[in-house]
Amino acid sequence: MRRTKLQRHNAVTAYLFLTPAILGLLFLTILPTLGVIGISLTDWSGLEPPAFIGLANYLEIFTSDFYFQSSVVATLYFAVGAVLTGIVYSFCMALMLNQPLPGRGVWRSILFLPYIVPVIGSSIVWSWMYEANFGVFNYVLNLLGFDKIQWLQDERMAMPSIILMMVWMSGNLIVIFLAGLQGVPKTYLEAVEVDGGNFWHKFRHVTVPMMSPVIFYNFLMSLIANLQVFVPAYAMTKGGPSDSTLFMVYLIYREGFMRNNFGHASALSVLFFLFIAALTAFIFATSRFWTFYQSE
Amino acid sequence: MHTTKKFWYRANTVLVVIVAALVVFPFFWMVRSSLMSNLEINQYPPLLLPHHWRFDNYPYTLSVFPFGRYFLNTLTIALPAVAGVLLTATLAAYSFARLDFPLKRFWFALVIGSMLMPGAVLIIPIFMGWSAIGFGNSYIPLIVPHFLGGGALNIFLIRQFLMTIPRELDEAAYMDGASHARILFRILLPLIKPVLITVGLFTFILMWNDLMGPLIYISRNEMNTVSQALANFRSGFGTDWKAIMAASTLSIIPSVILYFVGQKYFVEGIVLSGLKG
Repeated sequence: MRRTKLQRHNAVTAYLFLTPAILGLLFLTILPTLGVIGISLTDWSGLEPPAFIGLANYLEIFTSDFYFQSSVVATLYFAVGAVLTGIVYSFCMALMLNQPLPGRGVWRSILFLPYIVPVIGSSIVWSWMYEANFGVFNYVLNLLGFDKIQWLQDERMAMPSIILMMVWMSGNLIVIFLAGLQGVPKTYLEAVEVDGGNFWHKFRHVTVPMMSPVIFYNFLMSLIANLQVFVPAYAMTKGGPSDSTLFMVYLIYREGFMRNNFGHASALSVLFFLFIAALTAFIFATSRFWTFYQSE
Repeated sequence: MHTTKKFWYRANTVLVVIVAALVVFPFFWMVRSSLMSNLEINQYPPLLLPHHWRFDNYPYTLSVFPFGRYFLNTLTIALPAVAGVLLTATLAAYSFARLDFPLKRFWFALVIGSMLMPGAVLIIPIFMGWSAIGFGNSYIPLIVPHFLGGGALNIFLIRQFLMTIPRELDEAAYMDGASHARILFRILLPLIKPVLITVGLFTFILMWNDLMGPLIYISRNEMNTVSQALANFRSGFGTDWKAIMAASTLSIIPSVILYFVGQKYFVEGIVLSGLKG
């Protein structure tokens, strides 16, 4: 079938309008993807021409780079820890904000606020609150009769300390949960109440199943965001103590931009991508077992 | 029954107020510390409020932390970036929402699929690309990418919003001979203002808060952004906590003001990207 003049005109306009986006795909996604794979096969400091060394970077990472192992552990620990605590905290807060409450908008704004401020600003303030000698956290611990904790200097405490700060920042999750809760049909909740069900029954048999797609979405999105965490490691711990907060993105940054080890850093990037992709695929594959859609 | 319900609502309210107070506390602690001398900051047990309010901390901090310059530097990056995102994402969204063309589904899948690529994975080749063509240590690598489609999520959000506007509205104009550009910019643009404000605000905040981009591309101190300068200031002024706290306070003020002014759009944007994305 021959295209009409109008169809051709529309197609030309569409491609004209899409030119920036297509250039973006080409220069910001497709070529860099090929690039990162290519660079990962070289030994390159950025000054001399790259030397092709095949899979040597990967081999090195798996056999002698103990930073890589630390970073996988730290990244997973952080991502899972921050996501689970963040989801529980924000779901509870959304449930509480969803009750009749004077000045609800004010409380919602306050809980959301930490999400919007620069992470570097938060990291600095929290570092000061975590300070071992004069910090307010240790003061409160003292008041309650506990010993002081080396929050960011103790290799067992550094990660929970950063997780606590990230949970404080998860106001976006609260807002999404709140919007989701407003979509839970009142009639279902009332039906449970008529049958003599209490708060727990309503929560367990109506709210959670109806909210499961939103929970799933928040889980996935905050997992992907948290896997890429960088600023707290850069500003608060420099990956330490004893590599306990050596997040993969921080390791990539350190290898690439502080040590000019671009080949090695690119190999780390490729592995990092495979790691995220595998995790996402796994979560999607299992999601149908634990989410419930009203239309089903 | 009625009274127990009332009791629980009250208990709930009290709990919400307590959590809100805890969430605000770091902000309070930062401002309070920014108005103390270092001696007072390092007092143990810590003071809740300064004994002597040191408002002159701010002029002092500004003399060592030229906030105005960093502020302008950040605007020099953020404002063009916002313009680029709004322009190119709207153009792409219009194509996907209103026009039929060959390979439409392919391009749409590719654009949405690119959302799944974690940004941190590609920083090295992109950095190498910019250095190779001579744009290292300039704002170009931080601005230009925003003119290349404006981000998959933004394209998607604007497209979703466009689809809620009846097609008859612009088809009639098209029949009367208006061009697509004219329809988009004269007829549809005023109607999609809410989503554009949302996208613009989020882009601005993203640029304002970004640390890794400037760290990678900008090495000269006088070209630093606010976030970057703050990070460097922290390492340079390690023990001068009053100045660090004052600089931190200054750096978060724009975000906080913008949030309270555009609150409705922030909430809308979070909900839009969360529930319909």
